[in-house]
Amino acid sequence: MSYELIAILMFSSMMLMLMTGQRVFGAIGGVAVIAALALWGTGGSDIPFSSAMKLMKWYPLLTLPMFIFMGYVLSESKIADDLYKMFHVWMGPVPGGLAIGTIGLMVLISAMNGLSVAGMAIGATIALPELLKRGYDKKMVTGVIQAGSSLGILVPPSVVLVLYAMIARQPVGQLWLAGVVPGLMMAAMFVAYIAVRCRFNPKLGPVLPVEERTVPLAEKLRLLQAGILPIVIFASMMVPFINGWTSLVESSAIGAMAAFLAAVLKRRMTRDVFEVSVRQTLAISCMFMWIILAALGFGAVFDGLGAVRAIENLFTEQLGLDPWMILILMQLSFLVMGTFLDDTAMLVIVAPLYVPLVGALGFDLIWYGVLYTITTQIAYMTPPFGYNLFLMRAMAPPEITLRDIYGSILPFVCVMVLALGLIMAFPNIALWLPHYVYGL
Amino acid sequence: MPSWTKSYIRFVDGLNRRIGRFAMYGIFALVGVLLWSSISKTFFDPSLWTLEIAQFLMVAYYIIGGPYSIQLGSNVRMDLFYGNWSDRKKACYDAVTVLMLIFFLGVLLYGGLSSMAYSFGYFGKEPIGFLFGLVIGTEELGHLERSPTAWRPYLWPIKLVMCIGFFMMLLQVSSELIKDIAKIRGEEI
Amino acid sequence: QSKIKWRLQTYAGPALAEHVIKPAIDSFNKIAGDQMEIELFFADQLVPTGELFRAMQSGTIDAVQSDDDSMASPTEVTVFGGYFPFASRYSLDVPVLFNQYGLNEIWDAEYSKVGVKHISAGSWDPCHFATKDPIRSLEDMKGKRVFTFPTAGRFLAQFGVVPVTLPWEDIEVAVQTGELDGIAWSGITEDYTVGWADVTNYFLTNNISGAWAGSFFANMDRWNELPDNLKELVRVTFDSSHYYRQWWYWGGEASLRVNGTKMELTSIPDKEWDTVEQAAVKFWDEIAAESETKAKVVEIFKKYNSDMVKAGRPYRYG
Ligand SMILES: NC(=[NH2+])NCCC[C@H](N)C(=O)O
Ligand code: NA
Ligand code: NA
Repeated sequence: MSYELIAILMFSSMMLMLMTGQRVFGAIGGVAVIAALALWGTGGSDIPFSSAMKLMKWYPLLTLPMFIFMGYVLSESKIADDLYKMFHVWMGPVPGGLAIGTIGLMVLISAMNGLSVAGMAIGATIALPELLKRGYDKKMVTGVIQAGSSLGILVPPSVVLVLYAMIARQPVGQLWLAGVVPGLMMAAMFVAYIAVRCRFNPKLGPVLPVEERTVPLAEKLRLLQAGILPIVIFASMMVPFINGWTSLVESSAIGAMAAFLAAVLKRRMTRDVFEVSVRQTLAISCMFMWIILAALGFGAVFDGLGAVRAIENLFTEQLGLDPWMILILMQLSFLVMGTFLDDTAMLVIVAPLYVPLVGALGFDLIWYGVLYTITTQIAYMTPPFGYNLFLMRAMAPPEITLRDIYGSILPFVCVMVLALGLIMAFPNIALWLPHYVYGL
Repeated sequence: MPSWTKSYIRFVDGLNRRIGRFAMYGIFALVGVLLWSSISKTFFDPSLWTLEIAQFLMVAYYIIGGPYSIQLGSNVRMDLFYGNWSDRKKACYDAVTVLMLIFFLGVLLYGGLSSMAYSFGYFGKEPIGFLFGLVIGTEELGHLERSPTAWRPYLWPIKLVMCIGFFMMLLQVSSELIKDIAKIRGEEI
Repeated sequence: QSKIKWRLQTYAGPALAEHVIKPAIDSFNKIAGDQMEIELFFADQLVPTGELFRAMQSGTIDAVQSDDDSMASPTEVTVFGGYFPFASRYSLDVPVLFNQYGLNEIWDAEYSKVGVKHISAGSWDPCHFATKDPIRSLEDMKGKRVFTFPTAGRFLAQFGVVPVTLPWEDIEVAVQTGELDGIAWSGITEDYTVGWADVTNYFLTNNISGAWAGSFFANMDRWNELPDNLKELVRVTFDSSHYYRQWWYWGGEASLRVNGTKMELTSIPDKEWDTVEQAAVKFWDEIAAESETKAKVVEIFKKYNSDMVKAGRPYRYG
C-alpha cells in the first residue's frame, strides 16, 4: 500500500469513528490498533503499550493534574467571589462595565490555572447570573465568558502550551512568557469591542442603578485586596520557576499547594469542595491522559507506516507553496480539524508533522506556539465541535439556549482572528517578553 | 437481562469505584513527591528518585483511575451528532463502536503483559504462557528488567499496575456494554 | 520478490543522527536499490529508548543503533556500553578492543543468548560535562543534576552528582526549565551540534571516558532472513558510519575547543582528578565481582590499558 493511501485511510477512518460519538480515545486507539495489526508486521501489537511507556517518560505531563487541580480548587471554593465583587463595584458605573469587569476577572483567573474550564465555570456560575439580572444582553455576555475564559490557556500557566512545548521541544518558560502580551492584548481587544458596542447600544450593557453604585470609597479600596491573592499564587509559582530555583514540574506542585492553602485559609475548603476538586481532577486528568495515550499510539503507527512522509512530501514538494502560504494553510487545517477533532489528539497527532516543517521554513517555534494556542482557542469555541461550547451549555443558567451560545461567539471569534493576524504580522508581540526576560 | 449481568455490573462498578476513589487521592502523593524534590534540592542534596517516582505515580493515577473516569462520564466524545440523539440511539451506536474500544484495550493489555513478561526476564514469544507458568510455578524468573537510570528501580511493579489497570478498564467497558444492551432492550438495570 | 523493509531506530535525535547514522543509511538505500530499504527513525520516535531493546527483540522494530547501557539490554555486558569509566582514552581504542582483544566474541555470545544479532561496535566521542555553572574542582560537581548514561551516573553519584535520565530530545529544554544543571553525555562536538552549547556555559576538559562504545543490532530472525549480499552490505555501510564518526568527532573536539565561542573551558587539576581515576579502579573491581563474564571484560580492559601504557607515547602519556 502506498504511503499516501495509508495516510488517507487512517485519517478518514479516525474521523468516521469520531463521528459515531464513541469516546475520543477509544475511536483513535481503535483505529491505531487495527492499522498496527493489519499493516505493521511482526510486533505491531506492542505499540500501544510502548506509547504508555513513552507517556510515562514525558515528564512535563506531571504538570497537568497540578494545573487542573488548581483550577478546580479556585472555581469550587469560590475564592473568585471576592474578585468578582471587586470588578463589579469598580466597573459598574460604566456602560457595559460589568462585562468589561468580567474580562478582567478572567485575566486574573487565567493567571492562576492552566485551562479554561475554571474560568468558564466561574464565569458561568458567578458572573453570568448577575449579568443577566442586571439586564445585560444574554447573547453578548455568553460570548464574553467564552471568549474571556479562553485566555486561560494563553496567559501562563497553560496546559496547552506545556503540551505544545513537549511536542515542539521548546522551553516552556519562553512559551509561557510569549503568551502573556498576546493574552493581554486579546483581553484589551475584547474590552474595546464591548465598550464600543455598549456605547452605541447602551441597552446591551446598562449602567448599574445608583443605589448599587454608591459604595463608600473605603469599601471600594478594601475590595481591591481581593486582587492580591491571584498575584500571590501566580508569583509563588512563576518567580522560582523563571529564576530557575525550581523546575517546571516542581513549580506546578507549588502552585497547586498555594491554591489549596489559599482555600483553606479563607475557610472555603469544605468537604464538598474538597471532594469535587479531587474527583474532577482525576476525571479531567484521565480524559487528557487517555487521549494522549491513544494519540501517541496512533502517531507512532502513522509514522512507522510511512504516512508522515507522505504528508511532509505533500506540503513541501507537491504543493510548491511559499512559507507563508504553508503556514496559513496549516492554521486553516487546524481550524477545520478543530471542528471535529479533539484538540489534544490534534496536537499529538498533527503537531509532530507540522512543527518540524514550521521550523524548517525558518519560523520561530515559540511564536508558532502562540499562534497554535490561539487557533485552538478559536476551535474550542466554534461549532459544531468545541469544548467551550459544550462546557457553556452544561454550566450556563437554563434561560441560555444552545442557539444563544452559538450566536454569541461570532463577534468574539472575529476579534480573535484579528488578534491572530496581528501576531502573525508582528511576531514581536509574542516574542518581545521572552527575549527580554531571558536576554536573548 | 439475565440476572448474572446485574451482579456483574454491580461487582465491576463497585470495585472500580473503590479503586478509582483510592487513586484520586494520588494527586496528593504526587504533590508531596514534587514538593520534596524542590525542598531536597534547595536544602540538601537533590534526591535521585523523585522524578521517576513521580512518573510512576502519575501513570498509576490515570490508568488505575481510568475506569472510574468512565463511570463519571468524563471521557469526551465528539457529540456533533451524538449529542442530539435519543438515549436509545446513543446506546445502539455505543454498543457497536465500543468494540473498537474493547479491541484497543485488549491490545494494550496484551502489549502490557508481554512487556511485563519481559520485565520478569522472559524473552520468548509466548508471554501469556510464561506468566501463567510463573503463577503456577512451572516457570522461573529470569533477568529482572531495571530502569536505565542511575536509580535503577525494577520495572515489573509499575508494569503490573498498568496491566491491572487495563484489565479493570476492560471490565468497566464490558459493564458499559451490558448497560447499553439493556437500554436497547428497554430494560432497567 | 518484494522489497525488504527494515525499521531502524537510533538512540540519537535528528540533529545528531544527521551525522552519526543518516549518511550510512542513505548510502545503504542507494546501493540496495529495489532489494531493500532501511527506514531511519530517531530517538523515542517509534518506541521510547527504554523500550528499544524489547521492541527489537520482539520485532516491532528491526534494527537499532545504541549503546548497551542506554537501552538497558538484558545482558552481562550492558554496563560496558556507553561510557564505562576510564575504559578507553581514544576513539580508536574501541574498535581495537572489539576486533583484536576479543570483545566481539563476548558480545556476539551474549546477544545471541537473548535473540538479538550484534552486528558491529563502534566508538563515538569522549564523555565531558557541559554545565550552566563552572566546574573547577570536585566540590563543584556536588549536587548537580546531570543528564548522563546509567552506568556513568552510578559511578559519578559518589562525587555528589545527581544523575538524571530523560528522553534525549527533552534535554535542551530540561536544562532551560531547571530540571537539569548540566549534561555529561558527550564531547564538545555534540554539544555544539545538537544545541546544548546554547543552553550551557562551561565545558569541563576532564573526561570520564575517552570514547563512547555502542553498536548496531538487529532482530535475529530479520537478520537471518537477509540474503548474504545484503548482510554484507549492512556490515559495510554500518562500518562506514563508524568511520565517519572517527574523523568527525576527533576533528570537532579539537577545533571547537580552540575556535568555539559558546562554551568556556574549565579543568579540574590533574592531582584532584586522580581521585576520580582511582575510584574507577575500584568501580571496575566491583563490576568484575558481579559475574564471570563481567570479570572477563574487565580483565580485557586492564590488559589493553596496560599494553597501551607500556607502548608509551602516543598510545598513552605519563
Ligand atoms: N483536549 C481537551 N479535551 N481539552 C479540553 C480543554 C478545553 C477547555 N476549554 C480548556 O481549555 O480548559
Ligand atoms: Na493560565
Ligand atoms: Na470547533
